[in-house]
Amino acid sequence: MGISSSGASVLVRQAGELIEQAPGGIKLVDAVELVVAWGRANSVWPLVYATSCCAIEMMSTIAAKHDLARFGYEVMRASVRQADMIILAGTINEKMAKNLVTLYEQMPAPKYIIAMGSCAISGGPFYYDSYYVIKGGDRLVPVDVYIPGCPPRPEALIQGILQLQEKIKKEGRRNPWKVRETLQVPFEDIFSKAQAEWASREKQRDEESREAREQFKRENAASPASKPVRVKKEEFPVVPSRKPAAQGISNWTLLQMLQEKFPAIEVYSHPGITPKQVAELGPDYILDLVVPSEQYRNFAEYVRNEQSLGLDMLIQLTCVDWKDSFDIVVQMLSCRDGHKLFFRSRAEKDPATGDAEIATISDLYLGAEWHEREVYDFFGVRFRNNADLRRIFLENDFPGYPLRKDYDDPTRVVKRPY
Amino acid sequence: MLTAAETEKNGKKMITESLSEYSLDANTLPEGFRLPPPEDEEAEEFFVNIGPQHPSTHGVLRVVVRLNGETVVEVVPHLGYIHRSIEKMAENQTYVQNIHLSDRLDYLSAFSNNLCLCMAVEQALDIGVPERGEYIRLIICELQRLQSHLLWWGVLGMDMGAFTTFFYGFRERELINDLFEELCGARLTVNYFRPGGSSVDVPETFIPRVKHLLNIMPKVLDEYSNLLNKNIIFLERTKNIGILSPEKALSYGSTGAVLRGSGINYDVRKNDPYSIYDQFDFDVPLGSVGDSYDRCQVRMEEMAQSLRILEQAVARFPSGPHRSQPQQNYKLPKGSYYSQVETPRGLLGVYIVSDGGAKPYRLKYRSPNFSNLNVLNELAAGHKVADLITIMSTLDLVIPDIDR
Ligand code: SF4
Repeated sequence: MGISSSGASVLVRQAGELIEQAPGGIKLVDAVELVVAWGRANSVWPLVYATSCCAIEMMSTIAAKHDLARFGYEVMRASVRQADMIILAGTINEKMAKNLVTLYEQMPAPKYIIAMGSCAISGGPFYYDSYYVIKGGDRLVPVDVYIPGCPPRPEALIQGILQLQEKIKKEGRRNPWKVRETLQVPFEDIFSKAQAEWASREKQRDEESREAREQFKRENAASPASKPVRVKKEEFPVVPSRKPAAQGISNWTLLQMLQEKFPAIEVYSHPGITPKQVAELGPDYILDLVVPSEQYRNFAEYVRNEQSLGLDMLIQLTCVDWKDSFDIVVQMLSCRDGHKLFFRSRAEKDPATGDAEIATISDLYLGAEWHEREVYDFFGVRFRNNADLRRIFLENDFPGYPLRKDYDDPTRVVKRPY
Repeated sequence: MLTAAETEKNGKKMITESLSEYSLDANTLPEGFRLPPPEDEEAEEFFVNIGPQHPSTHGVLRVVVRLNGETVVEVVPHLGYIHRSIEKMAENQTYVQNIHLSDRLDYLSAFSNNLCLCMAVEQALDIGVPERGEYIRLIICELQRLQSHLLWWGVLGMDMGAFTTFFYGFRERELINDLFEELCGARLTVNYFRPGGSSVDVPETFIPRVKHLLNIMPKVLDEYSNLLNKNIIFLERTKNIGILSPEKALSYGSTGAVLRGSGINYDVRKNDPYSIYDQFDFDVPLGSVGDSYDRCQVRMEEMAQSLRILEQAVARFPSGPHRSQPQQNYKLPKGSYYSQVETPRGLLGVYIVSDGGAKPYRLKYRSPNFSNLNVLNELAAGHKVADLITIMSTLDLVIPDIDR
């Protein structure tokens, strides 16, 4: 599909105009147009454009049970230059937005967009509080069909595609395909607005039904009052919680071994506790140590190299913003024996900028490099000597560090009203 | 019909300037590349961008590949094309509201994500789960593993150029999806488990339908391993391709079939049993070489083991209440809590820091895919660019889980 303005199509157009002027010719052109529209509607080639959850339902729609091929839509193209429709299946965020616009502009006209799922319609579950999700695909590209759902069922997608077919069938020389504008509306707290409206409608409905009830009572004074319906109340059993069995080296031994080497370490939120008291915290308590920041790297190195500790895997490295400082939390696991060890170090905030700095452990654990990049991206904590400390998710020019507690960007975020 | 010129007249101008961002001079490497320029005069190095819109990146991963001819020298993944700020949003929602967000991390293991979050809350408040509730959790998580692996298998074939597997894999996956739908009304984003059990009880037809599935599946799995996993093209393209050594696997923190394919015996269900996994008989399949083939075989065998677990669970499925808590909101005492489960893709951890309120102070998901993707450069370097696609496929990545 996709008729270009090449010489042939100009000829066709001119021929059409000539025939149209002949007596009865208009009927002929109409008939031809009908056939063309039917053909176009049943041979739309979608682009493979799948970003998240909705994409899985799109795949289900193509697959055996729902079989999109029945509607002529099965020729999924990997290049937008061969496609004429994009199904926006999934969330679109700021980083992706530019790519989507580029894709749309590269697509030959006439071109169509189906917004599948609430994310593509309005940002869906990510409308509130998200600093990165675009609040609706139609802010970027003009959307032709909206399919609500999170995700929409395959049948709903098929329904949406049939709607698009209807739309295409109506196109012709009297009603040609046009470029449409994208939506240009500021985003706001729609929930509170809608809530006020629902409340007033509800009130009105209440009043109406009260009147109706009274009228019914007046008219049927003799009828006996109906029995109230009783719903069986669910009983909630008292169940003891299952305590997982202790795995590997006990917290007590771990603490003893580590304190011998690093006497300055403490147990988090239990200052001054002895190894024996740690044992009393139970087997499901995970030892959580506070390591002075100047010893942080040495400690990590020791934990890695000391075979008898058996802590061979880094689960993750993450950060907690305590407003005046950051806690860098490292979580270790023993694949060999099954015990875990958490330890944390404080990274003081620079009072002016809120930035902080700590040593890297990315040369000790290969996996730590990305975790550190993530912490840098979200919290702005710099890791000294990390070889590749770039932002990992957000774009380089993204203003601010979004997971800090004081992050606020009204140009991106709509605060959740409830 | 409009032409490109008319489009430009009517609408905005084309965004072609964005291309200039990628233009480089001869002496600088693109972001993230580390190896020095080749010393070999003959080397013909160039960079190829794959993604974020590319059918083989399973979503919106973007990788920039440094090639020497057709051989991969270095791969740099770029993340964030589906970053949705779930961890920030989590701080403004109650724990129960957060369950629905956990669905959207790794939507192919939505139940496991729900479970992990609920387990962290249960651990904090000492909530127990009735036996039936535990069985429901276990059965559903195993069904989920099956459907996730079936999808993986279907797409694996597709990435190697065989469309057939895609249709076959989805055939059985639809059966499992129907079960989920009957259970909670959703096929994908399920929002089903709650602290203390699950939101609703299973319908009466549930167990018979699982039994029906268990009758079909063994035959199907045989068929599938005949169809693809003994195929000569498949073998050529996976054996000794993308080898991950056990030390590297640990150092990167990769988990799931990627770790076990390298021969390390760690499965949370076995080594740190949660729910009632310790009452069931199953084996943890292990690879020996750590190549693409081993990762595939581990997943195929995991499906068979899931069937084993399901058979035992269905036979012993108890009656009684399915939950111990009413639908309510929870306040977690001040402190930090951690729980972990084995999702179809590896170790998912939930780390909650609570300040004593009804909403988490910080909620961190330890995503299995994040660490599994990190090994890509190790695996792909030295192989052909076509093998890179297969390697990505055998890592079984779900990108929204990486980006969160
Ligand atoms: S609408 Fe729902 S299912 Fe679809 S991408 Fe958004 S969150 Fe996922």
